[in-house]
Amino acid sequence: MNQEQAPKRKLLAVFAHPDDESFICGGTLAKYASEGVEITLVSATKGDMGRRMGNPPYLNRETMASAREQELREACDCLGIGRLIFFGIRDKTVEFEDEASLIGRIEALIQEVKPDVVLTFHERYGGHPDHCAIGKATTTAFRRSAEKGSLYFITFGDALERPERYGYTKKDVVRIDVHAHKAAKLAAFRAHRCQTEIDEWVWQSDNAALSRLGKYEYFMKGNVDAPQRASDDLF
Amino acid sequence: MIPINKMEVESELRKFVGAEAYIHSEATSFMFVRNFKIQVTNAYIAGEGPYRAALRFDGHGWLRMEELTHFEVDGLGRLLLAGFDDRGRMNVALHLGKEPFPE
Repeated sequence: MNQEQAPKRKLLAVFAHPDDESFICGGTLAKYASEGVEITLVSATKGDMGRRMGNPPYLNRETMASAREQELREACDCLGIGRLIFFGIRDKTVEFEDEASLIGRIEALIQEVKPDVVLTFHERYGGHPDHCAIGKATTTAFRRSAEKGSLYFITFGDALERPERYGYTKKDVVRIDVHAHKAAKLAAFRAHRCQTEIDEWVWQSDNAALSRLGKYEYFMKGNVDAPQRASDDLF
Repeated sequence: MIPINKMEVESELRKFVGAEAYIHSEATSFMFVRNFKIQVTNAYIAGEGPYRAALRFDGHGWLRMEELTHFEVDGLGRLLLAGFDDRGRMNVALHLGKEPFPE
């Protein structure tokens, strides 16, 4: 088969908490997984210091790490993520990790996986100290060690629909059409049960819940000097 | 986690009095401390729900918490107290264990 000879496309996502991959860019991950892209996900923490403990609460601080690990494994199955790596950092403390060693771990992973696409948080617009810290380390690791590929920053919702508002232009943004993968994204939301139980819309009928998910996910280009690429594809 | 039963919590707290204990304590949106080791001299629970808890330790220390609603004694004999809002979000937690909590 010719298809088997084509080199596999690879994506490495380096995030902070279980659910970042689903809530922020789950549609895009599901889309590329369905096209045969090999996806490796790093979750720096197990989200063990989260506030949401089920509704009504059935978790406590000491049971949360393993519950959220299991939820993330289920979400990875929903989205088609083949490889999951935890860095084992306590939630809310990523910014206090030794930065050089954190960068080193990500560099080693980039050299091993040789991803075509790296996704992480923007180091200033990540929205949570753990997000910014893992984004900064990943950006540094990418710039030092990636011999190929493109770096993108994940963004929240439709914020980058009009990038001018944030001092960017359409050229800085890639918009991925995820409408065909919303069912997988919704399944991943539901896999993160302790985090989404509080959000009633997630548990409405499939049709009602799917209508709440946007058609597009937006990514900011992280290496603007990379060759001009399509504005609707990360690869 | 189940709603606090004051008498049960009192009897669980007594098991730590006069002993060394490891503490995890947090005001979830603001701070946490994990694994500070104390010699518990007194342990209290007060109120009619939500509850207040306090520890006296090392002959000169206080730890006091409000808004506790739920508790559990887990399989390792650790006393876990927590305060949740009406949608299951944690506001505060106070855990006592005889061994260090996982880092």
